Amino acid sequence: MRSPSSLKQEFLKRWMRGLQRCTSSKKDMNVLERKKVIKLSADLAIASARNGTTSWSRALIANASRDNDNRILAERILGPESDILIKRVSTSVGTVSCNRKIRSKKILKRSCNSVRRVRKGTHLPQKVLAKSIAKRLVQKRTQILKRLVPGGEFMDELSLIEETLDYIAYLRAQVDVMRCIASATELINHD
Amino acid sequence: MEPNLGTIVRSISIGPNREETGLESLQFREEIHRLMTVPPENGSSFTELLQLPETQAMELLHSAHSDEVVPVPLSGEPLHGINDDHKSYLPSFNGNLTFPSNKVLIERAAKFSVFASGEHSPETSSVPSDSSANLEKVKSEPAETDSNPNSSQLLVSDPAVNIKNQRSEKRKEREKKGKGCTKKSKIEISQDAEKLPYVHVRARRGQATDSHSLAERARREKINARMKLLQELVPGCSKTFAMQISGTALVLDEIINHVQSLQRQVELLSMRLATVNPRVDFNLDSLFAPESGSLADSNFHSMVSPLLWPEIPFNGNRQQHQQQWNFDALHRPLWGREEDNHTFITMENSLLNYESANSASLHSNQLKMEL
Repeated sequence: MRSPSSLKQEFLKRWMRGLQRCTSSKKDMNVLERKKVIKLSADLAIASARNGTTSWSRALIANASRDNDNRILAERILGPESDILIKRVSTSVGTVSCNRKIRSKKILKRSCNSVRRVRKGTHLPQKVLAKSIAKRLVQKRTQILKRLVPGGEFMDELSLIEETLDYIAYLRAQVDVMRCIASATELINHD
Repeated sequence: MEPNLGTIVRSISIGPNREETGLESLQFREEIHRLMTVPPENGSSFTELLQLPETQAMELLHSAHSDEVVPVPLSGEPLHGINDDHKSYLPSFNGNLTFPSNKVLIERAAKFSVFASGEHSPETSSVPSDSSANLEKVKSEPAETDSNPNSSQLLVSDPAVNIKNQRSEKRKEREKKGKGCTKKSKIEISQDAEKLPYVHVRARRGQATDSHSLAERARREKINARMKLLQELVPGCSKTFAMQISGTALVLDEIINHVQSLQRQVELLSMRLATVNPRVDFNLDSLFAPESGSLADSNFHSMVSPLLWPEIPFNGNRQQHQQQWNFDALHRPLWGREEDNHTFITMENSLLNYESANSASLHSNQLKMEL
């Protein structure tokens, strides 16, 4: 994994650039808009830093470009390389939808199997039942995780875990940098 | 690996033991029929083994071997009745469990000792190094053995479940091995195949041994390896002891909490930044205007300029302030200022250098120079 400080540096650079590009046109924005812009540019910053190598970054960009009003903003923030990036993202989105069908079929099959097993496991209800309960718990949690990680709904478990690893690293870098800047600006402005 | 295999083959080929394994294989079969839901597999499991590519067959045999080398803490209870209630094994197992990874192997070895008490005494030399060597070579196995505890260790009866799983696994492999002892040539061929590099996957009991399930097994092990990585990444989760007990579901819980909290923090921080900024713009212009005349064409009124100015010449007194002012100065250009990217980036670098705690005066100089 990349070192956290280099990650932070990269993130900060892109974030500032994106913010700059975005705010240069609009002079006055209310708080909510500003927040949205900040968050959006932060997301896009790190997502573009990944350059489409990770699935969650692609999903972030895809989400950002989906709504029309966001799309213009996103494109501006991403800057000149936005076209390439968005094209790459859209091509990967196609595969995602294919994966979705496969995933849903597998989910159906798995649920049928688990039901079958539970029924036949009445000889030793405790052990088989415990195992199936554990499995169900794990499945529930993986579903929650899939909802949390952007673009994670259509991934299998292995890639989901890898994506989560990457995503957590990114979130940490983002939180650290933003916290530094926020505390700095607040400290200055309070004086 | 080879010596183990050789010893095992030799021990199996001993006369009385052969009958024993035959008896056991029969018992295995009954047990398997009774307990699991994949009957066609049991009778023809060895034929399936034959149909498998040699490598996979070797894997299955291989996995049997590594367990035999593990020390057996139990003085093998002379229970050959595999049909007995498995709960009877539990107290003895629980008494002898050692953490963390040997636990599963010891359980397996204990099963082994139960099934054929006399057979394994030559092999049960306590060679943890050897078993660890096995573990290294058969690297998927420990992950898989851990996967058993991970996926099912949520309830108190988990050890029972694990033991049950591994016992069933062991039995199946033993059955295959028992059948394999009659075909020495097969084992010899497998010996050669053993040296080839391939992913070791253990066929789980109750699942077909075709390549599909084996691939799934390999996948599972990869998943568990990464789950361990995630565990290390998420704070509060990385105790090795906890890895045995926490199980996959709890680790996932921690991960989910962590991701949620990080996302919430991002939201809050972006809100904070959004509210802070209106004054920042003004400060920016006031800050930069005196330093470089080119920035005179500001878009904002210069308000609050006297506020910031006093801070700038401070060098030693309020270092922290100044450093954070550097932060701020970096941040300010964003809000309505058009600046060259390269100056921006150098400023950012200096900002991040600050984050790694450099001197304040250096930064103020840099900032002034870059502007």
